[in-house]
Amino acid sequence: MFSEVSAPQEGSCSLLLCRPGSEDQEPSVFDRVKPAYSPCSERFKLGERSFNRQYAHIYATRLMQMSPLLTERAQQKWGADVRIRKLCDLQMGEQCCIVGTLFKHMELQPSILKEISEEHNLLPQPPRTRYISESDELILEDELQRIKLEGNIDVDKFVTGSVIAIYGAEKNDGKFTVDDFCTADLPPQAPRTTLSSDRFVLLLSGLGLGGSHADSMLALQLLVDMVTGHLGDQGEQSGASTISRVLLAGNLLSQSTQDKDASTKAKYLTKKTQAGTVDAMRLLDEMLMQLVSSVPVDVMPGQYDPTNYTLPQQPLHHCMFPLSSTYPTLQLASNPHQATLDGVRILGTSGQNVKDIQKYSSMDSHLEILENTLRLRHLAPTAPDTLGCYPFYLKDPFILEECPHVYFSGNAPSYQAKRITGAEGQEVLLVAIPEFSSTQTACLVNLRTLECEPIRFSSFSAGDDEESEMNISH
Amino acid sequence: MTAKRAALITDSYKVVKRSRREEKREKRAPSPPQKDTEPRPLTAREIELQELRQFDQDWRYGPCTGISRLQRWERAAQHGLNPPQEIRDMLLSADIDSDYTHCLWSDYPL
Repeated sequence: MFSEVSAPQEGSCSLLLCRPGSEDQEPSVFDRVKPAYSPCSERFKLGERSFNRQYAHIYATRLMQMSPLLTERAQQKWGADVRIRKLCDLQMGEQCCIVGTLFKHMELQPSILKEISEEHNLLPQPPRTRYISESDELILEDELQRIKLEGNIDVDKFVTGSVIAIYGAEKNDGKFTVDDFCTADLPPQAPRTTLSSDRFVLLLSGLGLGGSHADSMLALQLLVDMVTGHLGDQGEQSGASTISRVLLAGNLLSQSTQDKDASTKAKYLTKKTQAGTVDAMRLLDEMLMQLVSSVPVDVMPGQYDPTNYTLPQQPLHHCMFPLSSTYPTLQLASNPHQATLDGVRILGTSGQNVKDIQKYSSMDSHLEILENTLRLRHLAPTAPDTLGCYPFYLKDPFILEECPHVYFSGNAPSYQAKRITGAEGQEVLLVAIPEFSSTQTACLVNLRTLECEPIRFSSFSAGDDEESEMNISH
Repeated sequence: MTAKRAALITDSYKVVKRSRREEKREKRAPSPPQKDTEPRPLTAREIELQELRQFDQDWRYGPCTGISRLQRWERAAQHGLNPPQEIRDMLLSADIDSDYTHCLWSDYPL
């Protein structure tokens, strides 16, 4: 545990409280551990972007890539002689297995066609937190046909775009009655090298710079000071030297910097004003420079950061970081991001995929949704239906081909971590990184033991003082 | 004036119709020549284009709009669907001819 590594030693207070050392006394220097780092997110980088294609290609390649995996899983689960049929070859009443992409028909899903339809005269629907309802239906589509599903399947837990295998039979009314289903489950995992000493990675997200509330600025400065070794005595400094990398998972800028009023206001009112993002980026650059001078940092963009909206989000441009981009330790990464650190494979997103699934299913916990996406073997099944996505045609880059050791998603409402094991012995640490601007919590992942612990930088805010004052009065 | 037998209006019609029908029959008399010769044989280019169109419409290789035929062939090969090698040879040999490279629906908007 990190807290044990950096525990204050006996009599160490004297080090902090003693006189500054003389010239011949060498101050103790702790070298930061340098792990072998290699980024593997080439497939999320887009070269030339052409939007002259329809999204049918992504679904077609998704099905092309996943159906051999699913037929294998289906044979493992229901016997090697299970009949796997295409929807066009279905016989009435025959127990068989079908493989396809799920489509969830939701009444409350905002539809642009309904909005602009004049016959209905509907006002645009106000945005809701959840678009599920009792009347939702699941439909399975393969290359040629689609069929409605009913029976032993929980409609609320599935989202559009997941590829699964279903076992059951078609009944008289043209619907397929489900007896059982199976997902592609965890992909194969490369074994990780055992490390001799503890090495930590700090996972952080949701900094929310440039926002109206600056509550977390002190906490952020404390974090930077701790990681760079400016806090504490020798025990804590040697502990901080075991932090080998810092990963910022999105939402570095606050949502309030995304002010769209500038486009609607008159020009004479907005002429001299700057966009909110300019100052926020300067703050971010200054903060990053402090970090980057001491520890390698991976910066992933998030929902409110100045990069493209569709997934995969491209790395932030280095011209926005004039101070910190001069250091080679700054790594501007895409969202989703994948890297190998000392043989440990780390994969994760800034949380847009999890939040989108949360809107269209009954699952609440970010960790549960994260596990679900891992079992479905797809990072963002709702892309491109409800989550913006680039129209890929060759391959679907969100399909997990290799199982990561650490799988995270940023900007969760609270910290959650869990370790799961797969059927073939894969071990994955799932981490839901909390939003720093509201929880002031970051996560430390131990690469040797694959454990995660939260680290909280709380400070006394104005609200606390008021509470204590209230208690005094009778 | 009443005629000796009950004269119907249709009497006059009949005459007219008959003559019309006879006229039509006369016109129809020279029927088109029987199709005993075979249809004009397709040129090699037309056969190739027809094969490429069949490749476009084959459902196993996914949608064909928005990408070139060669890209679609590469995608099918990458996913192990074994598309026929002759299609690829045809596409590589005629890579400037847009009838060959682009799919059936390329003239239509997105």
